[in-house]
Amino acid sequence: MSEARINGKPVSLAEAAERAAEILSQARLPVIAGLGTDVAGARAAILLAEKLHGAYDHMHSVEIFADLDVMRQAGLMFTTPNEARLRADVLLFIGKDLTKIWPDVLARLSPAEIPAYELAREPRKLLWIAPGRGAAKVEGLAVQTLDSSDLHTALGGLRARVAGKAVHGNKSTLRKLDEFADILKAARFGVAVWGGDGLDGLSIEMLHGLILDLNKTTRFSGLPLGAGANAAGVVQTSGWMTGFPVRTSFGRGYPEHDTWRFDATRLIESGEADAALWISAYGGEVPPWKKTIPLIALAAPQTAFARAPLVSIDVGYPGRDHDGVEFARETGSLVGRLASQPSQTPSVAAVVGEIEKYLGGDA
Amino acid sequence: MLILLKGGRIVDPVNGRDETGDLWIENDRIVAPPPGRLADEVHDVSGKIVMAGAIDIHSHIAGGNVNTARLLLPEKHQNHLPNPIVLPLSTAKWSTFETGTIYASMGFTTVIEPAIVPHQALQAHLELSDIPIIDKGTLTVLGNDDFLLSLLRDGEGQAAVADYVASALAASNGLGVKCINAGGATAFKYNARTFSLDDVVPFYGLTSRQIVESLQRAVEDLKIPHPLHLHANNLGIPGNVATALATIEAARGGRLHFAHLQFYSYGHEGSHGFSSAAAELAAAVNATPNVTIDVGQVMFRQTVTVSCDTLRQYNGSAMARPKKCVINDGDSNGGGIVPYLYRENDFANAVQWACGLELFLLIDDPWRVFFTTDHPNGAPFTTYPEVFALIMSRDARAEALARQPQEAVAVTTLPSIAREYTYSEIAIMTRAAPAKLLGLKDRGHLGVGGLADIAVYSPGKDLAKMFRFAHLVFKDGDLVVRDGRVSHYRWGKALKVNPGYDKAIDRRLAGYYDHHFGTSRELFAVKEHLLPRANAFAEVACAR
Repeated sequence: MSEARINGKPVSLAEAAERAAEILSQARLPVIAGLGTDVAGARAAILLAEKLHGAYDHMHSVEIFADLDVMRQAGLMFTTPNEARLRADVLLFIGKDLTKIWPDVLARLSPAEIPAYELAREPRKLLWIAPGRGAAKVEGLAVQTLDSSDLHTALGGLRARVAGKAVHGNKSTLRKLDEFADILKAARFGVAVWGGDGLDGLSIEMLHGLILDLNKTTRFSGLPLGAGANAAGVVQTSGWMTGFPVRTSFGRGYPEHDTWRFDATRLIESGEADAALWISAYGGEVPPWKKTIPLIALAAPQTAFARAPLVSIDVGYPGRDHDGVEFARETGSLVGRLASQPSQTPSVAAVVGEIEKYLGGDA
Repeated sequence: MLILLKGGRIVDPVNGRDETGDLWIENDRIVAPPPGRLADEVHDVSGKIVMAGAIDIHSHIAGGNVNTARLLLPEKHQNHLPNPIVLPLSTAKWSTFETGTIYASMGFTTVIEPAIVPHQALQAHLELSDIPIIDKGTLTVLGNDDFLLSLLRDGEGQAAVADYVASALAASNGLGVKCINAGGATAFKYNARTFSLDDVVPFYGLTSRQIVESLQRAVEDLKIPHPLHLHANNLGIPGNVATALATIEAARGGRLHFAHLQFYSYGHEGSHGFSSAAAELAAAVNATPNVTIDVGQVMFRQTVTVSCDTLRQYNGSAMARPKKCVINDGDSNGGGIVPYLYRENDFANAVQWACGLELFLLIDDPWRVFFTTDHPNGAPFTTYPEVFALIMSRDARAEALARQPQEAVAVTTLPSIAREYTYSEIAIMTRAAPAKLLGLKDRGHLGVGGLADIAVYSPGKDLAKMFRFAHLVFKDGDLVVRDGRVSHYRWGKALKVNPGYDKAIDRRLAGYYDHHFGTSRELFAVKEHLLPRANAFAEVACAR
């Protein structure tokens, strides 16, 4: 059964959808934000955004564009968890949040096992830059760490030492950098794993440069862990549907992409957007903006909003309440997730379909 | 509904027709003139040319690598024209929606995406589902997958290989098998920087030749209509004609489709050490009836190269323009995305352009040479109308040649070639032959019972304009294009084969995934209900 509310009062799904359609179609520039949903939900939301001449954004755009902006300015070398698990003789972890972002990262990459497709059949080496307190423990494997409170300097220093260039610093740091550089250069198929708050675009670009340099003589690739709430899956869907990632708007009748102009929070705080559809099927995330504007929420049941949405509709969790396609960290690809506990709670795609019924026309 | 196309020039080589006549359509099929019945709808197509809908056998229109290319190059596909949104996302440049719209407006009704690795198949089919109007199909990429290489190394025999190939096709819903630089992507993971036909894949001790031979046999054993579709070693390298000739010979009389041959037609003569060897290669193709090829024509403009040949793409990344690229050491083949600008005043690019046209014009049999630009690698498919004009008009070629570096023209035979393709040859190359090559008996012709996929063109002096804006296009008997404009979307099918096999291999693969990858193989399966529309697939029979 679907649970829907208008101004906090229980209503039928149809009533809620009709009211949502009314609010969105009356807005000058509606914005679809959050977008924590499976591929079908993202697909429906993007078609809705076009119909409304609105904009759309994802709740984790900051993390999305930390990686994506580097890719589209400088490029990217990347691999999959499968390849890292089966081939990497050297793993280079960067950042303190890796196991927080992806609790299964160690289970999935199995660093303590000898990589199955590696020629030398030797135990792998795991280097960890800026692991933070207590994060760098891996059962059955000695982890070599390089503590740093400044990733720009650490990664820049490492890249310089790999390239044989001089670096200033204290002796112990230099010795550590050289140790790391020698291990990276001796790697046969190394994989750098990164993610989390500590890594901004500059760090990631430096890391990309390091990987490019290493590939002049050996093989090295990257494994960005990316953001949650199906961020990568939503970006992929947006890519084939509009040519662009999220932070795209149909305000002019064709898709325009701009990471600053179509930042949902900025659009709302500045008053440019005058209604919002918040989508969050994976968990309790709530809108990050302060300003009060007409809000419609398609969210997981029991989501605690700071201010009650005008219209709220409970939606199911993809892969639990209903089958769904999403980007899987464990494979680095879109995968099908079959419902583990099928329920009547509707999917985001189904609810968007209900709202569309009240907009007229066909999409 | 009964539709009559009245008085057009019917060009239907399969049925030996090139004559003025009528064509009747009822529902989704071509029908015999129904005695005593009046058409519900009559289109006077006198003076027009009526052909079956065109079929593109090799165009990269979907999948993770294509999508990465979209995301890599946002600056290359911005729209600036505020058009009214008539059809959903039709104003989104390089979107799946635009892809179907442009193909249909040129009279294409079936397009094959030729490079989908099994682990990207679900995304590919999701993307294909959002390409309107046309029917689609994918070729499943094998030949760098560790499971296959292990089978071959361990000498498990062809029956096991065939079972594996069939299982991979079933899981990915493919129409045929593609092999891309067999063993090369895997060798690159072991730091190989070049990889040729008889080079050995480290760890497995197999040559590229052995992998190709085995896949070629598996395709035949499974009776898959489309022969092994091969992207050979040493793409794009001066002197690689030797590899191409050796690869053609390696087919040893068996069926083989050699993809985008233009990129393998290079000699190393002349002061630049780069020349056209297309004439020699065309002669070899003419003498080898078991081999079919597609051209991969280069046209001068900005494009992006998208390929699962990671070794080649990495080597090509120094030439990236704009200067950025993505190399994905993915499961099995992975991919590389390298933007590239083909320039008319560049010696090498001019030679490449000429090589493609030489192949078109010097390969005698239009049933064995296929019309492609290897979209987007040689050029975007939107350049097809210009390519038609070049192969149909010696004058158009002379005009283009006059603009190019004469030292480049001098290392090709192009200026001496007089041939001009006829409409009938165009219909063979882009309709009849692709249908035969893919085993699609219901299309590629205008015979009674055929699918009513029909393109009507307005002939004129401007050949490119004629092919860019079809006068009428019917898909499954539904009139979707008038004067180059799509009136509405409809949703085509993905064509796939389903060869029978011993399911024991599935249990073995399940164990392999659980043990090696630590994930379930089921995650990657393309289950129809996960796609946005029901009845997404149509099966093509395996029997030859």
